[in-house]
Amino acid sequence: MKTFLKWAFLVALAAFFIVPLLAMARFAFQSVPVILLTPETALQGWSIDPIIAAAQEPQMWAASRTSVLLAAFTILLTLLLLIPLAIVTEIKAPHLRPLLTALTLLPWVVPPIALVVGVAVTFRTGAPWFLASVFSLVPFYALWAMPFTYRALDAGLQAINARTLYEAARSMGAPFATIVMRVILPNMTASIVAAAALTTALVLGEFAFASLLLKETLPTFMVNFQQSQARAGLALALVVLLLTAVAISVVVRALRRRGLSVQTTGL
Amino acid sequence: MASVDMQNIRKAFGPSVALEDFSIDIRSGELVCLLGPSGCGKTTALRILAGFERADSGDVSVDRKDITKVAVEKRNFSMVFQDYSLFPNMTARGNINFALKSRKVHAGERASIIDRMLAVTSLEDQADKFPHQMSGGQKQRVALARAIATSPRVLLLDEPLSALDAKVRESLREEIRRLQREIGVTTVFVTHDQHEALAIADRVGVMSNGRLEQIATPRELYETPVNSFVATFIGSINKVPAIGTSDGKWECWGSVLTGSRSSTPGESVVVGVRPEDIRVKREVNGPASLTDVSFLGPITRVSIRLDRGETVVVDLMSAECGDLRPEQAVRLSLRPEVHRVVVF
Repeated sequence: MKTFLKWAFLVALAAFFIVPLLAMARFAFQSVPVILLTPETALQGWSIDPIIAAAQEPQMWAASRTSVLLAAFTILLTLLLLIPLAIVTEIKAPHLRPLLTALTLLPWVVPPIALVVGVAVTFRTGAPWFLASVFSLVPFYALWAMPFTYRALDAGLQAINARTLYEAARSMGAPFATIVMRVILPNMTASIVAAAALTTALVLGEFAFASLLLKETLPTFMVNFQQSQARAGLALALVVLLLTAVAISVVVRALRRRGLSVQTTGL
Repeated sequence: MASVDMQNIRKAFGPSVALEDFSIDIRSGELVCLLGPSGCGKTTALRILAGFERADSGDVSVDRKDITKVAVEKRNFSMVFQDYSLFPNMTARGNINFALKSRKVHAGERASIIDRMLAVTSLEDQADKFPHQMSGGQKQRVALARAIATSPRVLLLDEPLSALDAKVRESLREEIRRLQREIGVTTVFVTHDQHEALAIADRVGVMSNGRLEQIATPRELYETPVNSFVATFIGSINKVPAIGTSDGKWECWGSVLTGSRSSTPGESVVVGVRPEDIRVKREVNGPASLTDVSFLGPITRVSIRLDRGETVVVDLMSAECGDLRPEQAVRLSLRPEVHRVVVF
């Protein structure tokens, strides 16, 4: 009975994730209407034409390029801000960790519309050029990704027992900068990659900020594209989803082969 | 080699006092173990000596030079941690090299020192392995090699064997002792394992509630504990009744003994007697009776119920036990070589 329940739970869980993806794939790549779907017609009418149609849209490539650049700059900004913060907190002020853990959740408490309006009001008069650039999305994305990225970095520091490594290196006479550069950072590779992967996934799927600031990114393009070409739009969404998942799993496997475990949460 | 002196150290973490009036004087080249139950302050004392914690009051000096406010990296100490603390991104050789480089050892000398350290810790075949490719014992040997490679003035070991299994722990314990004797480095070893402390140390400092209760050689500590805490913490001890005599001594089972404090005539107390200090004589109407006999190889441990209901444990040489059996009536006395007892 226990085994049956365990398997039933696992199957239900798998179905929860897989069924919507299968439905999405069927709608995007199969031209047989649902009403005519039978075991005989299940393998008929499959075609990659929708994704080819999406690939022929020049705007799709421009939006993809924008999203990739946004992901890269967001990762850069996030890591530049959070790596020093996480390291200094862990090593010098560990008692502040619970506070920081709570603070990094705050971006999710404020809805995107409130954030955007607040920032727009602040910058419209002083620095209107900031909102004109597509890269004005970078700080929003960095902020929005913070609950995940901070936890990934913090979990990485906990996993390597950074404070003891720091103390060991310090007792040998190593200066702070050397310890960070040669001991702490190299051992944080896995968590840095995890934080970057989470940021990438978030940027490639984020719609609210881009839409509110009237920027064309891959998600806003996909939403508009789906309104005119539903099947091609969904095909594109599915391919982006799968490519992101494959890219992340390739990175995680590569790290595991090097003996590094990837942790994405410190909770 | 350096002598270490910690005087009147006090350290509190909020309302909790970790060390109170803690003083210890460690001679040059000596291996001192700080021993005590969890939370007694031994690791705090070690961390203050290392410089990781700053004492609220008191002084730390090395070779009579005050280092209380000297930064960790400038003390030229080395520390070995319980969880090895090897740098996971470096091989065994890389870990030792990092320590030498940090101490600004000339590049030309580093390779030969590393080879020597790997040789003395029997790690030549592990030189190019990363920590995750090594066993716990090998990792701790690398940590030890890394610590002694820089010829530190003082070597600090914070429960270095706690994470290892019993057999590895024993062999590494002997290796630490051998290395410490060879290089003659002043060493402070923190442990909660009394067997480890007694086996390895020149002197053992027993701690309780942030205070150093007694510091002495293992033998002195066992044979002449200064108080009941030390007596009960080190080895096994029986609590048996004794009466004060007119000359300030104590009478126990017919023997007159010096106590850890003087008596007043007729004063009734409980004193501590080691299991091996008691003699058992079979006597038909003896005032005590055997309740249990456990054969432990060279010794046999017997439990004996006294006439007032208390139970004492006695260790006898197995060869001398003969046919002792439960329920036999016996009479107890102290061995003639016992002259001093701890008064509880």
